[in-house]
Amino acid sequence: MKAAAFPRLLPRSLLGQMLLAVALALLVAQGISAALQFRAAEQRREMIAANQLAFQLVADPRFDFRPIGSRMGDDRRKWRRLRVERTPHNPLMPGEQRDARREELLRAILVEQGIEPAELVVTKRRAADDPYVMGRSATGQWREVPQWVEGDLLLAALRREGGTQFTVARVPLSTREPRQLGELIAQTALLYIILVGGLAVLLQRITRPLAALTKRVETFAETRAVDGQLDPSGPEDMRRLIVAHNAMEGRIAALLDEKDVMLGAIGHDLKTPLAALRVRIESVEDPAEREKMARTIEDITRSLDDILTLARVGRPSDPRERTDLGALLASVVEEYEDMGEPVTLEDGPRVAAPLRATWLRRALRNLIENALRYGEQARVSLERDGAEAVIRIEDNGPGIPPEEIGAMLEPFARGESSRNRVTGGAGLGLTLARAIAEQHGGRLVLANRTDADGRIAGLVAELRLPLA
Amino acid sequence: MSDSGPVRLLLVDDEASLREPLADYLARQGFVVRQAEDAAKARAALAEEAPDLVLLDIMMPGEDGLSLCRHLAEARDLPVIMLTARGEPTDRIVGLEIGADDYVVKPFEPRELVARIRSVLRRAAKAAPSASEEDAQYEFEGWQLDPLKRRLVDPEGTVVPISSAEYRLLMAFLTHPRQVLDRDRLLDMVQGREAHLFDRAVDNQVSRLRRKIEVDSRDPRLIQTVWGGGYRLAADVRRIAPGK
Repeated sequence: MKAAAFPRLLPRSLLGQMLLAVALALLVAQGISAALQFRAAEQRREMIAANQLAFQLVADPRFDFRPIGSRMGDDRRKWRRLRVERTPHNPLMPGEQRDARREELLRAILVEQGIEPAELVVTKRRAADDPYVMGRSATGQWREVPQWVEGDLLLAALRREGGTQFTVARVPLSTREPRQLGELIAQTALLYIILVGGLAVLLQRITRPLAALTKRVETFAETRAVDGQLDPSGPEDMRRLIVAHNAMEGRIAALLDEKDVMLGAIGHDLKTPLAALRVRIESVEDPAEREKMARTIEDITRSLDDILTLARVGRPSDPRERTDLGALLASVVEEYEDMGEPVTLEDGPRVAAPLRATWLRRALRNLIENALRYGEQARVSLERDGAEAVIRIEDNGPGIPPEEIGAMLEPFARGESSRNRVTGGAGLGLTLARAIAEQHGGRLVLANRTDADGRIAGLVAELRLPLA
Repeated sequence: MSDSGPVRLLLVDDEASLREPLADYLARQGFVVRQAEDAAKARAALAEEAPDLVLLDIMMPGEDGLSLCRHLAEARDLPVIMLTARGEPTDRIVGLEIGADDYVVKPFEPRELVARIRSVLRRAAKAAPSASEEDAQYEFEGWQLDPLKRRLVDPEGTVVPISSAEYRLLMAFLTHPRQVLDRDRLLDMVQGREAHLFDRAVDNQVSRLRRKIEVDSRDPRLIQTVWGGGYRLAADVRRIAPGK
């Protein structure tokens, strides 16, 4: 479930995914770098604090906190140094923990300076809890109360070998500078902009030709014509892809051309002898026999036409034109009316759609003839359903068993019950109607029509065509 | 039909298997038929004696039928019926554009071919309009009819498909705008090869045409019924040269 929801948030394009990946990688790298920097700064801070404590313990300065008074405006309120306290007692207050790690650090520094501490105590406490600091503060000797009084301080007490008194030094712990984090963010952002900008330029060099190629493939899939091929552009890999694609297009178009030539030749080579035969049977004396022969030739011609049309359906030579669908339906239905066939057209709305009228006529004739052949009569209607025009052809026949509906649209399929030569036809009618619907960006839907008792009352063929 | 003698045909087709039986059949129908197996022989036959009509196969080795057809239409002004094995509508338009008078797809019914030959000759016998005039489009009330492609376009630019009977009926009205045409006259003008129309059939065709071109076919504005008379196109018609 999570997997289904998550990818929706991810960018889908190559550019977006690359940029996201770079952003994530950059974030991780910057995070590691920030952690390292933070640790280094922490260590430096500890070292400075320890050194300051050591200096005070060793040098024992007599001056107190004062403003630095330099030109650095912001640093005016900074603490500089705190007078060292001498006390006979261990300054560790009850409940306070000794800081073993810092003691270790300080001891090492002191030993380096030649001082061997008899006793060394380091602890951290709030400056406000420190009696000495509060005492100094209360005397009013400080012109202003330093900021660090709000925070923590480090306290180190040293008793030297042979001495009885503790020398106590205090260093406030500087609060972490928020500047560090801000700097890090700014740095990351800057890096990101530079990298992403560069990457975007680079990626565009790849994705622009890629997008053009995608569009080209779509166009070619529809028109199957080689004009308007892309010039190779972008990085070498892209160029090679485009060149290879153009070569493939050329090959496909050549194959299709060959097919058209072949179909033209088949059409010519079969239709001419059929025409000769058709002329010759006129000399047959028996009119009934002549009629049968003529019918057979018609059947062969129709099958041949269906096959040739099906082979050409994916590559129509005529453009689509905005056509009045109602008038088109009427002109097809009228042909059947004139022949006395039971085909009716119901009144419908005026619907116009971009069509290839000759192709659509063929699909309609196939569907109407199918209805007449299996369902005695055909009722044709037209309506608008959203962005589609729906042409419905209903009959009163036995319908199609639901499990066979899909198979009926396959070439050379005919209802099992009617598999005999009387009805004629190669069984391409529905296949062709579907192919023509698809040529127009639409579809053919077959469904059984049921009466009030739920019995199959006929077949409904729906031709759904997009209006734009 | 120069004299009132038999109609003389020139049949040009490279396929002897079709050409010979077809020539026999046409001869039995009372035509005088000469044969030619390619464009060169056809030109020779034409030079010898001009026929009344040429039946011409499109696909032939050597000079093809289209090229010969162009020559016949331009130089000789002879009626031509093209025979072709291909039935694509673009082929038909190309054939008609270069001057063929009609177009028959193989295999055809021989009787239909005869009917077309007679129909073309009948049309040719009437004052033949020049080719450019024939190509000119008709325009009425924003509608356009291209006679060559038989293409009717409504004022919004949508193609409105019409049957050939409707086309002929509309042409009858367009060539006689604002005139009352009675049923007999219309029947005479509309009668095509497949139409054996009765009196009522004219009314039927008119109502079909009205459904396609009238805004409200129950209240027709363009094709008006004239009581006791017939019908009348209540619009002005303009001719526009093709390509404009």
